[in-house]
Amino acid sequence: MQTNRQRLLILSLATVAAIALAFPAPLPAQAGAVKSSGTSNGSGTKWSLQVDKVNPGDLEIAQSFQVAIYENLLQEMDKTTQFQQVFRDGDRRASDVPNLLVLKTTVEKYSPGSETKRAVTTVSGATKLTVRSQLCTREGKLLVEHAVNGNVRFFGSNLRATHNLARNIAKEMKKSSWPAEQPPALLTSQL
Amino acid sequence: MNFSVVPKDHGNPYRVTNHALTMLVMLMFSSLAAVAQNAAQAGNAAAPFSVRATHFLGFEGTKNNCNGTLSLQDDSLQFQQNGKPAAKIRIDSVRNIFLGGESKQVGGLPMTLGKAAVPFGGGRAVSLFSHKKYDTVTLEYVDSDAGVHGAIFQMSKGQGEVLKTQLAARGVGVSPAGEGPTKQSAAEATNANQ
Repeated sequence: MQTNRQRLLILSLATVAAIALAFPAPLPAQAGAVKSSGTSNGSGTKWSLQVDKVNPGDLEIAQSFQVAIYENLLQEMDKTTQFQQVFRDGDRRASDVPNLLVLKTTVEKYSPGSETKRAVTTVSGATKLTVRSQLCTREGKLLVEHAVNGNVRFFGSNLRATHNLARNIAKEMKKSSWPAEQPPALLTSQL
Repeated sequence: MNFSVVPKDHGNPYRVTNHALTMLVMLMFSSLAAVAQNAAQAGNAAAPFSVRATHFLGFEGTKNNCNGTLSLQDDSLQFQQNGKPAAKIRIDSVRNIFLGGESKQVGGLPMTLGKAAVPFGGGRAVSLFSHKKYDTVTLEYVDSDAGVHGAIFQMSKGQGEVLKTQLAARGVGVSPAGEGPTKQSAAEATNANQ
């Protein structure tokens, strides 16, 4: 009797595992992403990137948030391996690099959530961030522009929103590309 | 019935002089102690200072979200994880220091899972009381190539102000922009308390 139960349990577990492998669920961020109208990058030339400090715009956003967005962006952009080198704002070495793009980030919306509110109510207390992310040439010519969100809705600290935001920006940048010789027409999308 | 309220030696001039002398000596001692305390505080600016902190992100050569000791020694600011070599930067490379505050749930993932397991939503009630306020210290510093770095540390409430004072005493500019985030964080803390 017990052996039969064990067999049944193993069989059901194996079935669940097989189904999970056969139909992997898409990640929420992947599901929500809108495909950019960017051209595919066919050129072999790799650009370097300079990440500028975050512009808070007219909003009163905590300095820790600005710094966290900036640092997370540097990490995520480096992870994409799309750029030859990723420079920090103010880095002297960036001025010697021939193909340099500048990533500018301006905060558009910010609602500070509360971790305790999230833990108590589940439905309220979300931290929400919306930024306008612009990729420009050194001369200031706009190549790519996106409005990107980063939220923390259920678990985690408020600063996790900055990590999610940076990851979403990196995803958008990875999808859009630009030829080495002449910059394409303005690409715009909303994540 | 023969209680005397006024001391009998009321008119004794020597007694009055003694009292005055005692008062004068006490005043001198207290002022000396105050001067010595001020001198000690001024000397503390160069004394080593350390505080337990959690490194969130940004400090070069250190893992994110790790606990350790943040200390000021001579002309360097260093963060040392337990049993690992310290990562350090020069204090004069720090451009700005911003102080903020945050209310966080304690206990991490085990506590979260525990709360989720409590029936009838009892975990939510626990969440009401299982949070703690922390100070968040954000440092902005530059590397040898003038690239801007930002580092965020979290420490017990009150410690952030001490660190800020210590860094200010060592010549680090405390930006007036630091007021904004403090206001912001206060609003955040109010939300958390509701």
